[in-house]
Amino acid sequence: MNGPGIVWYLALAAFLFATGMLGVLLRRSPLIVLLSLELMLNGANLALISFARHAGNLDGQIFALAVMAVAAAEVVVGLGLIVAMARKKLTLDVDKLSILRG
Amino acid sequence: MTFAGWITLFAPLAGAFAITLAGTRIGRRTAGYIATASTMIAFVAAVVAFVIALGKSPDSRSQLSTLYTWIQAGSYQSGFSILVDQLSMLMMLIVTGVGSLIIAYSLGYMEGEDEERRYFAYMALFVFSMLLLVEGGNLILLLGGWGMVGLSSYLLIGFYHRRASAVAAAKKAFVMNAVGDATMAIAFFLLIKYTGSLSFSVLGQPAGNHWVLNIVALGLLGGAVAKSAQLPLHTWLPDAMEGPTPVSALIHAATMVTAGVYLIVRCNAAFQAAPHVQNLAAALGTVTLVMAGLIALVQVDIKRVIAYSTMSQIGYMFLGAGLGAYADAIFHLMMHAFFKACLFLAAGLLIHALGGEQDIRKMGGLRKLMPFTYLAFLAGGLALAGIPPFSGFFSKDPIIASALARGGWFGYTLWVAGLAGALLTGIYTFRLIFRVFLGEPSAFVREHLHTDHGEGPISMRWTVGVLAVLATIAGFIQFPPFWEPVSKWLEPVAPPLVVPTNAQEIGTLLIGVTMGATGILIAWLIYGSHRFRAPAASETLEQKFYFDELYDAIFYRPAVWLAKALRRGFEEPVVDGSIAEVVIGTRDAARWTARLQTGLLRTYVFAIAASLAVLLVVFVAVR
Repeated sequence: MNGPGIVWYLALAAFLFATGMLGVLLRRSPLIVLLSLELMLNGANLALISFARHAGNLDGQIFALAVMAVAAAEVVVGLGLIVAMARKKLTLDVDKLSILRG
Repeated sequence: MTFAGWITLFAPLAGAFAITLAGTRIGRRTAGYIATASTMIAFVAAVVAFVIALGKSPDSRSQLSTLYTWIQAGSYQSGFSILVDQLSMLMMLIVTGVGSLIIAYSLGYMEGEDEERRYFAYMALFVFSMLLLVEGGNLILLLGGWGMVGLSSYLLIGFYHRRASAVAAAKKAFVMNAVGDATMAIAFFLLIKYTGSLSFSVLGQPAGNHWVLNIVALGLLGGAVAKSAQLPLHTWLPDAMEGPTPVSALIHAATMVTAGVYLIVRCNAAFQAAPHVQNLAAALGTVTLVMAGLIALVQVDIKRVIAYSTMSQIGYMFLGAGLGAYADAIFHLMMHAFFKACLFLAAGLLIHALGGEQDIRKMGGLRKLMPFTYLAFLAGGLALAGIPPFSGFFSKDPIIASALARGGWFGYTLWVAGLAGALLTGIYTFRLIFRVFLGEPSAFVREHLHTDHGEGPISMRWTVGVLAVLATIAGFIQFPPFWEPVSKWLEPVAPPLVVPTNAQEIGTLLIGVTMGATGILIAWLIYGSHRFRAPAASETLEQKFYFDELYDAIFYRPAVWLAKALRRGFEEPVVDGSIAEVVIGTRDAARWTARLQTGLLRTYVFAIAASLAVLLVVFVAVR
């Protein structure tokens, strides 16, 4: 099997994940946070598929498919919430949206 | 024979259940009729058993009938069984006969009372409990009946549950009886340990050493003393007068207080194996009979005077049973049931007609106003004082004669004390009669007496009449030393230990009657003709020899002091304090945890990321 080794793929996955995490940690707009979350999920997906390819079986790929399905559902709910907040004319700032704290 | 015994046992229970289950669907009157009918059925069955037994030879008159095995634990087992023999048959006749008369009397006495149904259910239950006690075929059933008698007496003494004094009296009776129950239970434990059984036949078996035999007898005596209100567990009986008057009659005449005498006679083998305890029983009875007679001299509540006379008469029975004159004790028990029920129920007629007043200082001159009551009370009083030919005359003096037959300093002391008791009996009984019935009607009587329906409802009059007749003539059943069918009847169950000679018997009889008559004469001189002024009542007597105060000081106050000390020294600082600490700690922990939840998304994500990093480092390092 030719092409780059598994380390490259994993490095790319780690980079995607770290980028997403920084986005979640640092940005305030819920939309950007949601996007960053997707980045993190895709970083994890990439790692899963890399390992599946490396190990020569399909387990990781099936996991990745499941993650995609969950991610799609999550985006639907998340975007719905954001649209609802925008309609209510709430400030779209995750730091301010803390009234549900215990 | 045993079949009739079972009917006797369960008829009153069925009555109590029927009244309870029917509730308000039946009228108050109907409840009374059910209770009366159920006890009457029991009485008829007891008579049937008695008649059948009369036709048998003395050896086959004792029959044990077992319904089923009730308790089985290891090698120990006892059945739900009844013993129908000469002794239990006599007791069955007394309990159901006098009991049903008293319940019939209650029909009139309790008329218009609130909660009449509850009253009649309790009365039937009381009779059942006593029947279970006397018919129980082994000691464990006897103890069951014993406890149920305590329960029913508690319920009935506290019948007027809105009156604080009645509730206190009920509690006192229950606690005093519980002391006796406990000593009996200890005796039974010892019997199970050393003989493995609780049937009557193991009593007195030489199991263990003489200490065991003594403690067993002492435990039984403790139970008998508590139930029969003898010294030193007697203080509940006068207070038990808080219950309705027919209840007092039932407790004093047919059930409850006679249980102790029955126990001693039934368990005579256990007492014969422990002669010292038997002497103690006789001594306690004697002290009680004199002491109760003295206290009765100064009481002013008509029911309390009769209550103390009961204590005194039960003292005679204990004296007889302790000396081994079992048949005399049981015969006196029978006669006492008649005349004491008669006295109580006649007193009930008075109280009923006077609107609930019981103070004899307010009464007087009732002879002309209530002639029937007067005659009934007089019959009961003469029987109590032992004047021939009334029933007490036949039954009391043989017991005193047994003390003479016993001999020795012990026997002579008891004999003198018994005769002194007879003198006291004459005085206090006729003090009551002269004060209440003779003289001019007092102002209180003129104002409050209401005899619109004659002297009382018909149900109250005929029962008192029957009992008065019994108190007058029933004594002729037995007249030692001339004819003694009761003694012969009981001989297979409890053979007498002392048999007075004819000279002793007749001599005591004469002196006893003289004593009773002298007592009446003294009472007449003071209270009838007012020739002498009554000596000032001694403080000691009015305070009933300070027994209540003594128990208060010995048991009640230290217990209260200990409870208070424990509350201050242990409960408040240790128990309450530790719980308070736990509460404060939990609250603080919750406050700190709540502070972690900021509501800021980024802190949560940061916490997750940071922990991930830490886990990663740990993972790498461990590997």
